Amino acid sequence: MPGETLGLVGESGCGKSVTALSILGLVQRPGRIVGGKILFKGEDLVRMPVDELRDIRGRDIAMIFQDPLSSLNPVLKVGFQIDEAMQAHDKIPKDQIERRGVDLLKEVRVPDAARRANDYPHQFSGGMRQRAMIAMGLSNRPEILIADEPTTALDVTVQAQILELLRDLNEATGTSIMLITHNLGVVAGLCKRVIVMYAGEIVEQGPVEQIFESPQHPYTWSLLRSIPRIDADRRERLRSIEGLPPDLIQLPPGCKFSPRCPYRIERCFRDDPQLKEVAPSQEAACWVTMKRAYAEMGAATITDTRPGAASGVRPPKGVAAKVVDARTIDAAEGPVR
Amino acid sequence: MRGTLIYIGQRLVLIVFTVLVVSFGVFFIVHLLPGNAFVSDRVHGQALQILLHEYGLDQPIPVQYWNWLTGIVLHGSLGVSLYIRGLPITPLVLRELSVSAMLGGAALIITIGLGVTFGVLAAVRQNSWVDYLLTTIAVIGYSVPSFVIASLGILIFGQWLNNLTNGVIYYPEPWTGTYGTLAELSVPAIALGFYTSGQITRITRAAMLDVIQQDYIRTARAKGLVDRVVVLRHALRNALVPVTSILGPTVISIIVGSVVIENIFGIPGLGKEFVESIFQHDYNVTVGVFTIYAVLIGVANLGVDLIYTVIDPRIRY
Ligand SMILES: Nc1ncnc2c1ncn2[C@@H]1O[C@H](COP(=O)(O)OP(=O)(O)OP(=O)(O)O)[C@@H](O)[C@H]1O
Ligand code: SF4
Ligand SMILES: [Mg+2]
Repeated sequence: MPGETLGLVGESGCGKSVTALSILGLVQRPGRIVGGKILFKGEDLVRMPVDELRDIRGRDIAMIFQDPLSSLNPVLKVGFQIDEAMQAHDKIPKDQIERRGVDLLKEVRVPDAARRANDYPHQFSGGMRQRAMIAMGLSNRPEILIADEPTTALDVTVQAQILELLRDLNEATGTSIMLITHNLGVVAGLCKRVIVMYAGEIVEQGPVEQIFESPQHPYTWSLLRSIPRIDADRRERLRSIEGLPPDLIQLPPGCKFSPRCPYRIERCFRDDPQLKEVAPSQEAACWVTMKRAYAEMGAATITDTRPGAASGVRPPKGVAAKVVDARTIDAAEGPVR
Repeated sequence: MRGTLIYIGQRLVLIVFTVLVVSFGVFFIVHLLPGNAFVSDRVHGQALQILLHEYGLDQPIPVQYWNWLTGIVLHGSLGVSLYIRGLPITPLVLRELSVSAMLGGAALIITIGLGVTFGVLAAVRQNSWVDYLLTTIAVIGYSVPSFVIASLGILIFGQWLNNLTNGVIYYPEPWTGTYGTLAELSVPAIALGFYTSGQITRITRAAMLDVIQQDYIRTARAKGLVDRVVVLRHALRNALVPVTSILGPTVISIIVGSVVIENIFGIPGLGKEFVESIFQHDYNVTVGVFTIYAVLIGVANLGVDLIYTVIDPRIRY
């Protein structure tokens, strides 16, 4: 949807970056897309010939990355790198490119833009580099800007400025923004809709307020409980999610979250739940859902978030070997890969 | 900019110092070698003393060195030949320098051209037959000594294909002033540049493979740039930084190699003169040529350091 702001949330290592990269066909060898579809204006980007996909890169869908220093070429001037994005496509008339390059830098609030365009990336501060990346991303007036953890490498005040800039640019230019992050707080500040990913799959999606208000997937619920809150009761401990995300190459059978889920039932180990509507425009992939967890397992008062704690369901025999939780691995085999 | 000029100044001072030390060392050694320039004339006793005195060879070596040095500084003269008695060697050496420079320059161009091209091709086609072929050529390049390749070159182009090449690598002696056409230079230049090109292939390939993994290459792709631009403008520009670092040693290899190659092909350059002068006890020529080599190496290394600043803007002096 034009002008939309979408957040893609999940723990580190759950496949957010890979998902984003596969949209533009940028997954590094030996990685490849084995199946699925990515639809853009009715066309499947996965099956699109690389020549056509290249035209879309940077022109219709642009992308900025986590570490702005390593993402900019150290031996080329910043201004040139921005102009280059426009030269690669013919959306911006050739004679306007250079002026637009400087204008863009002004737009993303790089001070003294005309002079700074002639600087090299190492002469920029971290925040300015990310602004330059954003300028580059927006240079062809793309329909979608994918921002993969654009603030993770920056310090807190700069983070806030960059997010504010993204919000303003989204309103001013109508470019949709897909924000990838593991920080739900960032999503709350910028996005209208949110997708929660776990182990490479969508487990819940819907409007931000609704998801924050009543998350239906236990994973989303745990993520929300792990955000520090100023207004939280002091006695209520901050809860991190027990265990580690599964190895994406060797996924457990049934629900991918079952090894770590406090509310799991027997069925969760057998059948993989699909996304279902759980409220208007909100979907979740869970056999139990939090509604039921609150009603039947007393989720409102629960403090123990260990796997199976609320329902008391132990993993079936045979599965147990694969479904060890992180602490056991730590103790037995040293640090997890 | 100012910093760079100061840096260049400092380096030049250092070069002068190095050249002084090196030339004195060589001067000392060649004068200690047994025998003298007049052995073949079978002069003895009184007559020999007169000759030695005439050329100042009876003085202590530091004094001789001082005279030699002032000759260069005051008159720009490397002295006279002791073999062809009294012939000023400066014009001779300069002419030979131009021949050697042409050979060395051609070898350097071949080295860098071949090395970088092969390295890039091998990297972008990693693990394909192209990669294996080019890497094999590179390994052959730096494991087969240049004189072997030179001998093969003579055998193929001088003997077997003599009619075809019209004796292209035959260099008439004595020098008639017709050396240095491109065709004449090509075989010895390839023989000379092949060894170092193998090293450059290897380093370029490794650097390209490393650079291609970098985030900024992903950025370049994400912009929608075509592969050619990604590889040449974004990857190669960065890969040239480590390649530049071996240019200094490469130049030294080429200079050293040229001595061998010139003698094999009979090219009347500095290298050939150098070897002959040693056998002829022509002290001034030996020292003069060696000093020129020292200057060349110093200047080449300075040049490489300056190329660095062009290739990598993060480096400033
Ligand atoms: N769909 C998938 N199928 C198979 N493997 C995957 C998939 N998605 C991700 N992976 C693997 O998981 C690893 C981590 O994925 P990715 O880098 O996308 O995580 P992330 O969510 O972006 O983490 P971070 O928050 O640390 O950036 C990747 O190296 C990749 O090999
Ligand atoms: S309750 Fe079952 S289906 Fe739902 S997240 Fe937990 S394990 Fe998965
Ligand atoms: Mg990531």
